[in-house]
Amino acid sequence: MNRKYFFAAVIGFVLLALVPVFTHNPYYIHLVETIMIYAVLLFGLDIVVGYTGQVSLGHAGLFGIGAYTAGVLFLKVGAPFWVILPASVAVTALFGAVLALPALRVSGPYLAMVTLAFGTIIQILINEMTFLTEGPMGLKIPKPTVAGYKFDEVSFYWVVCAMLALSLLVVHRVLRSQLGRAFEALRGSPVASDCMGVSVYKYKVYAFVISAGFAGLAGCLYAYSEQYISPNTYNNELTVLFLLAIIMGGRKTRLGALLGATIIVLLPKLLDDLEAFRIVASSLAALMLVGGAIGVGRKITTVATMAVPVLGTAALAAFSFWLESITDWRLSIFGLMILFVVYYLQDGIVGFVRSLLGRRSASQSAEHHVLASGQGDPILQAVKNTGEDLLVAKQVLMQFGGLKAINQVDLRIKRGTIHGLIGPNGSGKSTMMNVLTGIYVPTAGSIEFEGRSVVGRTSSDIALSGIARTFQNVQLFGEMTALQNVQVGLHHTFDSNFADIALATPRSRREEAAATQRGMGLLAFVGLADLADEQARNLPYGKQRLLEIARALALDPQLLLLDEPAAGLTAPDIKELVSIIRKIRDHGITVILIEHHMDVVMGVCDTVSVLDFGQKIAEGQPAEVQANEKVIEAYLGGTAA
Amino acid sequence: MIRTVKLTTFASLMLAAGLSFAADAIKIGVTGPYTGGSSSMGVSMRDGVKLAVNEINKAGGVLGRQIQVIERDDEAKNERGVQIAQELINKEKVVATLGFINTGVALASQRFYQEAKIPVFNNVATGSIVTQQFKAPEFPDNYIFRNAAHDSIQAPMIVEEAIGRRGFKKVAILADSTNYGQLGREDLEKALTAKGVKPVAVEKFNIKDVDMTPQLLKAKEAGAEAILTYAIGPELAQIANGMTKLGWKVPMVGSWTLSMANFIDNAGPGGEGARMPQTFIQEPNTMKRKAFIEAYLKTFKPKNNRIDSPVSAAQGYDSVYLLAAAIKQAGSTEGPKVREALENLQAKVEGVVTTYDKPFTHDDHEAITANIPVFGEVKGSKVVYAYDEDRQKGADIRTKAVKKDAAPAKQPAKK
Amino acid sequence: MEILLQLIYSGVALGMIYAVIAFGYQLTFATSDTLNFGQGEALMLGALVGLTLVDRLGLNYWLAIPIVGAFGLLQGALVERIGVRPAIKIKSEFGWIMSTIALGIIFKNVAENIWGRDDLRFPSPLPEAPMKVFGANVLPMELLVIAGAVLMMLAVEFFNRKTIYGKAVVATFNDRDAAKLMGINTGLVITFSYALSSLTASFAGMLIAPLTLTGATMGAVLGLKAFAVAIIGGLTSGMGIIVGGIILGVAETTTGFYISTGYKDVPGLVLLLLVLAVKPAGLFGKSAIKKV
Repeated sequence: MNRKYFFAAVIGFVLLALVPVFTHNPYYIHLVETIMIYAVLLFGLDIVVGYTGQVSLGHAGLFGIGAYTAGVLFLKVGAPFWVILPASVAVTALFGAVLALPALRVSGPYLAMVTLAFGTIIQILINEMTFLTEGPMGLKIPKPTVAGYKFDEVSFYWVVCAMLALSLLVVHRVLRSQLGRAFEALRGSPVASDCMGVSVYKYKVYAFVISAGFAGLAGCLYAYSEQYISPNTYNNELTVLFLLAIIMGGRKTRLGALLGATIIVLLPKLLDDLEAFRIVASSLAALMLVGGAIGVGRKITTVATMAVPVLGTAALAAFSFWLESITDWRLSIFGLMILFVVYYLQDGIVGFVRSLLGRRSASQSAEHHVLASGQGDPILQAVKNTGEDLLVAKQVLMQFGGLKAINQVDLRIKRGTIHGLIGPNGSGKSTMMNVLTGIYVPTAGSIEFEGRSVVGRTSSDIALSGIARTFQNVQLFGEMTALQNVQVGLHHTFDSNFADIALATPRSRREEAAATQRGMGLLAFVGLADLADEQARNLPYGKQRLLEIARALALDPQLLLLDEPAAGLTAPDIKELVSIIRKIRDHGITVILIEHHMDVVMGVCDTVSVLDFGQKIAEGQPAEVQANEKVIEAYLGGTAA
Repeated sequence: MIRTVKLTTFASLMLAAGLSFAADAIKIGVTGPYTGGSSSMGVSMRDGVKLAVNEINKAGGVLGRQIQVIERDDEAKNERGVQIAQELINKEKVVATLGFINTGVALASQRFYQEAKIPVFNNVATGSIVTQQFKAPEFPDNYIFRNAAHDSIQAPMIVEEAIGRRGFKKVAILADSTNYGQLGREDLEKALTAKGVKPVAVEKFNIKDVDMTPQLLKAKEAGAEAILTYAIGPELAQIANGMTKLGWKVPMVGSWTLSMANFIDNAGPGGEGARMPQTFIQEPNTMKRKAFIEAYLKTFKPKNNRIDSPVSAAQGYDSVYLLAAAIKQAGSTEGPKVREALENLQAKVEGVVTTYDKPFTHDDHEAITANIPVFGEVKGSKVVYAYDEDRQKGADIRTKAVKKDAAPAKQPAKK
Repeated sequence: MEILLQLIYSGVALGMIYAVIAFGYQLTFATSDTLNFGQGEALMLGALVGLTLVDRLGLNYWLAIPIVGAFGLLQGALVERIGVRPAIKIKSEFGWIMSTIALGIIFKNVAENIWGRDDLRFPSPLPEAPMKVFGANVLPMELLVIAGAVLMMLAVEFFNRKTIYGKAVVATFNDRDAAKLMGINTGLVITFSYALSSLTASFAGMLIAPLTLTGATMGAVLGLKAFAVAIIGGLTSGMGIIVGGIILGVAETTTGFYISTGYKDVPGLVLLLLVLAVKPAGLFGKSAIKKV
């Protein structure tokens, strides 16, 4: 953790812990306690919404499961607190898994609806299963007693404080580990993620289950805090509130989650009290005006863009003075806030303030990595070349509706060679790549890699068995740094699991350090070592392509598929590229190269296969193929003059 | 910068103004559902309370201080009641709270008042155990009072009407899934057992349920001749509508909520003839009631000159006067003193429902006994006296029946 | 047996309502890959506006239907303009989800303040006495619902297939940029699809209002269940929606009777989860392979 951040967190927690010392009013203590409990849940929700980019409308349901596990265990079994707490986490995580496994096969609106359905089902079940949950009549839970000591309002507050600190620590560790990178990767480019061995589906499920665990913890604490729970609470309005909190506070930041929690807890209280609302609305309008003025002054934004929010908040303030009672309009205010946040505050308040202050975005690691000297060769030597066929594709047919993109193609790739795959646009080269890496399932035909069939296996499975690739349209994880991109490719080198990461065991620390070093080594191999901490999307096009190669090499592949690596490169870059490809081959890695730059193909390939309209029309040594009449006709549409 | 200064000044002035007002006034919390399906009860209760408070304040207040009403909407949700209780006690620092329409909300929230030793006056909630939550020896003093007709009175009345007077042999119970409905159902079953009758069907439904066909079909199949209900307005209306849809109409006899406006209006012709126990029927048959009804109609102007929930309004009104009398007698607003005053009320309080003469003792916190409520009937879209003899004797004030041997009124032992 | 038949009748009528709303989901998904999470609220507004016309202003029910339809068109266009278009423009991945949810919340709150929070009774245009069909009771209104739903869907299908608008919709769905290059105003197409989707929803509201109580909260659960129907049937198949609707409706009424009314919403939602787990394209949908 970097110094400043650590200090700020410590001070923050000390202040939080001192609240009951400053005020003895149980109402306010309870208020802050609720904010902390929501923050725990929001840390988890942020992983799903902020990092993996999935909209979950079911977290109120998971929250309810946590609360009711605590309630039911207490009421029916009389379990002690130190059993109930982990039990709530475990049960909710289990429900999270049960929901995630089918739900995460879909995404976007489907996922939102599915989680909505889940949340509704949970509420119904809690309401109806009166034999277990007492239904609408609710459950009473007194504060816990541990080892004879009965917690009261203040001591339980400190328990919640401690739990919040613990959650913060765990979330922080997870997000900085290979898990966190996997989450960001699957959002940045799902296709690339799968092809780097990070199964999008698997990690979406992990993210969801982890967030369910947090929701369970929050729910358990909530039950003890409120001392009365009923099914009504865990409804769709609450789930939308949680989402609002994340989006409004700011995604991918812990501070945003805390801020969001504060807003959603205080908001209803504020809306209950008309006087307070008027004061706040007026202050907000004033703030908006000031913030807008600064923004325009610093040329971050224009008058036109700021016009709507400034006028909007002013109108809201005016409206509040005209109304008799604001409670009736509570939900509209809340809906308007969501709209406002979606359009004007996409990075949340934290993001907005950061941009005003000119800081970089949250995902930027403030670290600076240097290549250690005396490191070994970053690229793994491939399996010894005994001259056999590495990849055998027989009679592959890939049909989309009526179109045969690949039509009865045979391909035989010898180990240790650089095999070129050329052909005019639309001849099926990239389709072939996609079939080889499992993105498409071939309509017919067989493909065997190292003796094992590839057909029907998932992309991440294929990637982990030794086939790596780059993409024709660069598929980097844009918001991550160059080093982090490569580290995603190194995901397979990690054995540590969630527990290791949460507890920061020596194993996890060792693996992380090794991945950093190796990553730097790979970057140096392609000449990008000094750009290691730059966001991938900020790199110049040529360097992005090289980065993709470094990332692919991180998989320790036997076979590397390069899809038009020279496209868009200048002549000196191309020379560098060719030398890189040669060095790769020298490590014994087999390469399939799709290219349009004939000089590259001719200069570096051992064998060349030519596709046209999905069929193989020629194959052989580069010089032969170059002179082949059919090939010339395919490219030029006529005989050579 | 200037705006901030102006704003801060404005804010502090407002705060000061608010605080100064608060320092003198006696703050009373009023909790009820002002929105949602129970809202007609909540709003009527609150309006009855406000009417009484205005009258008292105009006459000089209590102990020379004005009464300030702090109202909060609990939306008939138990957990909201819990939060409001904490807010009223710790933030607003009320001296007492009037309210609780819904039994569930009462049961969930009263604990906080009991712990804080602040009296709670249930003016509408009828669940029998509401005043029984905090008993000796664990709690030497009980801070929960009530001036509504609780379900241990209503349920036997309902059963007597259906089985005794109208001679039905087969009855079905339809109750909602809230604490109110389920506890009421238990009371009904108890009363039926006492008469040696078993209900032919016992069905349950949720708040906001619209289609009652399954439950009604089961009752019909079982041969029910009458339906005994424990629910609130909207769902009761759906029961009536459901019966019309099925083309099967049997009498509805149920708890007092059959008098709610949203039942009567939404059930249409299907609601006519429904009967329920009432402590108050909107008929100006005494001076006090006439004055009350006229004042209410003039101030709040309800639709069709019909109070949405007459019982809630009347009981709300009465609860203020009872509390005021206690504060006056105690000479202070401290919880324990007010409680003691309530338990030993010297002055007679003339209310709308009845005249209260020593309505409470240390162990008996129920102001209404079985002899006070009469049966109301829905007729012509309003609630009228079901029985002529009751209407003719309407002007008689029925006061609380006190047992000769001063033993506490029998309450069923409930948990 | 009579009871089962009764439950089936009610189930079919209920299912047709879900189908009509689900139809609306299909319309917007087809052109813009987005759904209106406030579809239920569109239905609610249609029902309430209809109530004002019929009850307060004394208009004839049948005359009120086209007026409510026009209102639905406007409301849908508004949702698209405010909620969806800006979100698509800023390429926000879940912006339109949150904004359609937000609009739904706002509509509901406004409705609560205009029409009150109580549920109101909608006067039925047809006699309320049940008829006997094969020994079980059916309400004339239920038959109207079934007829109305089928008619509405046939009308929209006809519109899609036979008119130039329909072709524009298909084009926009397949390739928005190409369609734009062909001179199709894709923005207008999307707006129109939202307007049409709210039209069907408000029409559904008018149909169902006399059968249940009308109030600000009637839309939420209906919207969710209609989505279940859309998924179960398949977001690309009209027939699938009708079949899905009937399955869901009957499952609901039978569960309500034989198990308990509290659980009646569960089978539909569970079915939704199952279909998504096993065949995400729906019972009748076609799974398309996406080209990378």
